[in-house]
Amino acid sequence: MSDRHTAESIREELTHRDNQSLSARITENPEPFLRWAVPMVALIAVEFATWAGIAVGMIEALVVGVVAAVELTLNYASPGLAQVVADFQAGVAGMLRSVGGMLGEFPTLLSREVIPNQGHQTPDGAWQGTFLGLQPAVAWAIRFSLIMLYALVTAYWVFRGWLVYRDHYRESDWTPTDDIVSNLRGHRWGQFGIIVLIVFLTMAAFGSALAPSTVSQNIENTYGDESRIQYLSDDGTVETAFAGDANFNSKSKGTVETNIGLMSYDDYSRFHPFGTMPNGRDLFTFMMGGARITMIVSGMAITGAAVVAMTLSMLSAYYSGSLDLGVLTVADGVVSIPQLLLLIIMSAVFADTWLGSILDGGFLLALIFAFTTWPFLWRAVRGPALQVAQEDWVRAAESYGQQPRKIMRKHMLPYILGYLLVYASMSVGGIIISLSALSFLGNGLGISPPTPAWGRAISAGQSYVSTVSWHISLVPGLMIVLLVTGMNALGDGIRDAIDPETETGEGEEAAAGGGG
Amino acid sequence: MSNTLEQSPPTEESETLIEVEGLKKYYGGEGMFSDPPVKAVDGVSFEIKRGETLGLVGESGCGKSTLGRTLLALEIATEGSIIYDGTDITGLSGTELKEWRKNAQMVFQDPESSLNDRMTVGEIIREPLDAHSWKTMTDRRERVLDLLSAVGLPDKHYFRYPHQFSGGQRQRIGIARALALEPDFLVLDEPVSALDVSVQAKIIRLLEDLQEDFNLTYLLIAHDLSVVRYISDRVAVMYLGKIMEKGETEEVFSNASNPYTQSLLSAIPEPDPSAASQRITLSGTPPSPSDAPAGCNLSTRCPAKIRPEAYADADRDLWQAIERFREVVRERARVALSLGDRVRRRFNRFDRFDDIEDSRADTFDGVEVPERVDQQIETAVEMVKRGEPMEAQQHLYTEFASVCDHERPEMHEVSVSGRQSYCHRHTDEYEDVEPVISRRADNE
Repeated sequence: MSDRHTAESIREELTHRDNQSLSARITENPEPFLRWAVPMVALIAVEFATWAGIAVGMIEALVVGVVAAVELTLNYASPGLAQVVADFQAGVAGMLRSVGGMLGEFPTLLSREVIPNQGHQTPDGAWQGTFLGLQPAVAWAIRFSLIMLYALVTAYWVFRGWLVYRDHYRESDWTPTDDIVSNLRGHRWGQFGIIVLIVFLTMAAFGSALAPSTVSQNIENTYGDESRIQYLSDDGTVETAFAGDANFNSKSKGTVETNIGLMSYDDYSRFHPFGTMPNGRDLFTFMMGGARITMIVSGMAITGAAVVAMTLSMLSAYYSGSLDLGVLTVADGVVSIPQLLLLIIMSAVFADTWLGSILDGGFLLALIFAFTTWPFLWRAVRGPALQVAQEDWVRAAESYGQQPRKIMRKHMLPYILGYLLVYASMSVGGIIISLSALSFLGNGLGISPPTPAWGRAISAGQSYVSTVSWHISLVPGLMIVLLVTGMNALGDGIRDAIDPETETGEGEEAAAGGGG
Repeated sequence: MSNTLEQSPPTEESETLIEVEGLKKYYGGEGMFSDPPVKAVDGVSFEIKRGETLGLVGESGCGKSTLGRTLLALEIATEGSIIYDGTDITGLSGTELKEWRKNAQMVFQDPESSLNDRMTVGEIIREPLDAHSWKTMTDRRERVLDLLSAVGLPDKHYFRYPHQFSGGQRQRIGIARALALEPDFLVLDEPVSALDVSVQAKIIRLLEDLQEDFNLTYLLIAHDLSVVRYISDRVAVMYLGKIMEKGETEEVFSNASNPYTQSLLSAIPEPDPSAASQRITLSGTPPSPSDAPAGCNLSTRCPAKIRPEAYADADRDLWQAIERFREVVRERARVALSLGDRVRRRFNRFDRFDDIEDSRADTFDGVEVPERVDQQIETAVEMVKRGEPMEAQQHLYTEFASVCDHERPEMHEVSVSGRQSYCHRHTDEYEDVEPVISRRADNE
């Protein structure tokens, strides 16, 4: 803040101290930092296993992806060498997996072990095995709410960290980012988008703890040793059954007798917040599993597309001429390929290869979506990129011999990043819808079963839409609508925040979300 | 706390810092089917002495900014040489060019667009130093602070963003950035024309002080003649890619030789309402730089144009009408014909240019046209109506062109101080500019 800088101190600070880094500034005035950092550490610590699991999972995916690419290229040159690489990959992946398993042993506060919701009634009517002896529904609701609350508080606290940095440690009194943030603070529609994004990311990250059951127990491995459940039978004794058998008797098939609707119990004392599916599986658990794969695939696809679009738009704007023309031609070529046809062909071609098996086929889909989406993003940001490439400050940077790479990064990128965010968050809706559409079609398209995918749930409930089992299609449909709307809201919010003067309400940008 | 910047050691190798010889910068026109090139700078020669300020004036679009940018190797010269302190910079590339760039910097016209709004002032001024890995980080910061005080800004602005400054302050930041690498030569591209009048004077004073302190050499590009007169040691006047006149500032302003300079200077308003000043207007608009006249650049608009022998005694109104009519035909010749028009022309059905009759009537309205001239005009009109304006243009050229139309003038020395002017009238063969202009003006 301004009071930190007196005329003398600035020169002093900038030139006579060896270390004027952020850490030096924090050491000088540690209190605000500590007041922020201690709660932050606590927040991470209570869910350490989850965060570490996500980190390890990302590293593993990265290692597998990179090494697989290397292996594939090497295979043409020397199969022996490729084998070495493959062994290396297996070794690293195994190590990471064991690290992940070890981390999984760490206790977390908001886990299903601490707040269990699966239990059974004893003959005297009391609940056993559930949290504090509460009903499974109440126990589940408590855990669900606490996790959502935790996620929102953590997200806010991260933002709070930026505020602390701005108010206490940043050297500038004001930066252009401040305006963007303050614009966003008054933008309810954009905030709605942010909250939707946080909620769905939470579903992806904490899905197994949010759901009343686990994907493994309820969907993938219903007759495993872990999948035994206890229940109070009609004749008043506590018995044990496999989840698979319980699912068999909990189907929602459209008649009043065979339907487990929203917020209801089945005969095995299992609570189903979203009811069950036609095969008796818990829809909520299925949706949480689907959220994870949806967020990962659409996130990877849009990130890939955005990175390609960003790089090419800056190159084509800075060098223009034949490079621009070349990219334009390639982009037009990519756009002219029918997306659905490409997806079907690629899914069929790579179905049984290593590429098609990563993320249950999700990685391949992400690659194809990135490939078909970048031309739209590139076109959207090419205009702003061309505009900023004409600015005098770019000429000035050339005049003192700045490298083109740095000119693009320092003088062009900050101006197109905002547009890129806007168009990316609006285009991601199209990807989410296309992804669900593929799973809806099934027949080897989309995410391979039994891994949950939203589109498959809609497809499963298709014949029961007009019956009492309407929830099977409706709930996943509403979730997709909510997520896509939220992403569009986020895009609107960012657009208005970076450029308040263009606040025209509905406009041409709406078209960006129409893909898919 | 040291506010003084290190001065570059005085160099005494030569008086002349920059020598430009036959410099040309054309845009486009390389391809086999492309349109003729835009000749932004078309054979320019001058020199700038160490420590002096050369003012470059001319109307917008005459190529003066392109010239400035070509001097800094921001544009690749099409032809000619730029000798900077003994090195021809048109041949430099890669590391050599980057190293040379330290010597010459630019101050831009619009302070709004010359500073990146996403960087702090400190980062902006430091960037040239970073790009050249100048000394250590601490030294760079110290230098930025020195530069800030050199251009009259307090230290606290180091962490601010350009958004937070007025136009004048932003221009100071731009000047500080240009000075960061201790250049010897600065191109000032309209440095004050985007600023308030009250701020202009301060910036000009600052530029003068800096020139003295750091022994800088300036090329000042401007269209504001009073600024140029105030700050420049010598002046070069540019029109359509050519230097029309160059010489000592005061001499050019008080005793211009070139018709173009005279008309430019006559446009300066006289503060004294009773002073008798004659306004020399140029007729028409400047031709496109892609279609410059074959002879003298000014030949289409010159107030002192030499007439061909045969029409030396022709009536003034008649002659002006003929020139105007040639201009009309030239415009027609520039229109690209569509395929349909070409087909119609092939079958003598071309009618798109029939309105040339009206133009002719307008042009020669109230002018007595002698038989011989009328015939020539009639032939040209028929050619245009047939769809062959190029031929018409050629026809009129053969009949009415003078030395100004078909021969490029030389740079003639017109005073003892070495002032040069680009005009045929400085040769002994023809009458000098001054009497012609005043006689033609008197006839009015």
